[in-house]
Parts: sequence; C-alpha cells; structure tokens
Amino acid sequence: MKRLLNLLAKWPIDRMLRVACVLGLLALATMVWGVVSGAPLPVVASMSVAQGLGVLACLLFGLSIAADVARGKRQAP
Amino acid sequence: MELGSVATPIGALAVGTSLVAAAILLHYLVRRPQLTAGTRLQLLLGLAVFPFIAAVATTASGMERTTERSFCGSCHVMEAHLADVNDVNSLGLAARHSRNKLMGAHPCYTCHANYGMMGYPLTKLKGMSHVYNYYVVGYRKWELPKFLDEVRIAEPFPNMNCQQCHSGKIASFSNVREHLAASDAIEAGTISCASAGCHGVAHPFSKRPEEL
Repeated sequence: MKRLLNLLAKWPIDRMLRVACVLGLLALATMVWGVVSGAPLPVVASMSVAQGLGVLACLLFGLSIAADVARGKRQAP
Repeated sequence: MELGSVATPIGALAVGTSLVAAAILLHYLVRRPQLTAGTRLQLLLGLAVFPFIAAVATTASGMERTTERSFCGSCHVMEAHLADVNDVNSLGLAARHSRNKLMGAHPCYTCHANYGMMGYPLTKLKGMSHVYNYYVVGYRKWELPKFLDEVRIAEPFPNMNCQQCHSGKIASFSNVREHLAASDAIEAGTISCASAGCHGVAHPFSKRPEEL
C-alpha cells in the first residue's frame, strides 16, 4: 500500500493524462476503422488491439485521478 | 464502395460514441484545462464511458461482420469460393445451399460454424487461425491456383453441421436406403454427407479430379 502511495506521489499526472488521451484516440480510430472498412484486418484489430489500447488508456486515467486525489489529501491540513 | 457496418444501428452507435469520445479527448489535448471535477468528469466520459459503449458496439458489429459472405470472400484466396456461391447456375453443394434465403448473407458461417453451446466463440477463435495463416504463414502472397491445389479444410466437415437443418429424423430422410445402410457411419462421422458418393463435395471447383 505504501509503495502504491509512493508511486502515486511521483505519478506525472498531466503527462500521463495526455498519454491516456492519445492512446484513447488511437483506440477509437482503430475501432472506427474496423467498423467503416469492414475488411478482415481492421475488423480483427478493432476487436483486439483497439480494446487493449482502450483498457491501457483507461488504467492510466484511473491512476492519474487516484494520484490527484492522493496528493490533494496529502496537502490538506 | 462498401462501407462496412456503418449503416447498421450497432455500427452507427460504435462510430457515434467514438466520435463523441474523440471530441472530448481532442478538446482536452488542445485546451489543456485545469484538472477540476468537471474536467475529471469529461475525461471519465471520454476515456471510459463512451469508449466502453464503442467497444461493446464494435465487438457486436465486428462479430456480425465476420459472419457475412462478403467478409469471407474478401481475402483473394477465397475469391473462387465466393464466385461459386454467388453463381446462380452453380450446382455445387455450397452454391445450392447459398441460394437458400434462410442462409441469406451468411452461408459460409451457417455451414462452417460448429453446432453446440460453444460453437459461436470456438468458430470465431478458430477463424483467427485463418488470419494467422493469411498474414503470417503467407497465403496472402499465394496465387489462387496454388492455394486451391494445396490447402484443404483443417478438420473434416462434421455431419452435425448439416444436421442443424437436416435433422435426419423424418421419414423422407431415414427411409432413403443409403441413409439406412450408413446410419451408424453417418452418426459416427466416418462418412461425410459432403463427400463423393453421397451429396458431393461442397466446393467441387476446388478439388482435384481424384477427390471428386
């Protein structure tokens, strides 16, 4: 638990949120590509790679928010 | 130009939610607002809620797309199979079945999806081996004649798949002498319905003369 709190204390929130947004955009673009194109490779990518990227983006977002909340608590009097 | 599954409700949902989420993420990247409660909520919508809906809709739309005959025929090595099932004059077993309205746009899937509770996911997982063979093993670079000459169905076609429609329980089936004589072998799968001497191979153009 302490290790997690230390990780969150050092977590570069802004940078990780930007990374999450870029990963999210890549995931969304891959999903749209699969639906619009309908060709085998895009369809398979939209159901695998895109969802992996989306989950990663979501995790980064969750950790960033957790880090922000943890920092807010530390700084509170 | 074929527009994938965009015209279907589930495809439109996938694209619509993706666009909304993308607009939220682009707004954050361009404006870089302070991380207030409102910004967190926006990011929650753009990184979790809308992408989740998009992912579910994309999966549903993708799964549906993978059952369509045009999808199966979109790799060049399947062009001959697609042309045959689309040919109204073809007398091949697959072509005759593909003209049946019950099969609609999904004749390849209807016959090749294995029966049973796990038939759908297992068929989809096995389909990944086709993607692997095409892109990694190298079927993509093969000429069609070489493919038709060397590649055969991975596993014997199970009679159970025919029996999804042809139950074999009614008199017009069981009174046929050949069916009676071979009933045990049909049940055990040692004789295939889709074989020479029975109903013929499904895709005869893809076989060597000695296989017919």
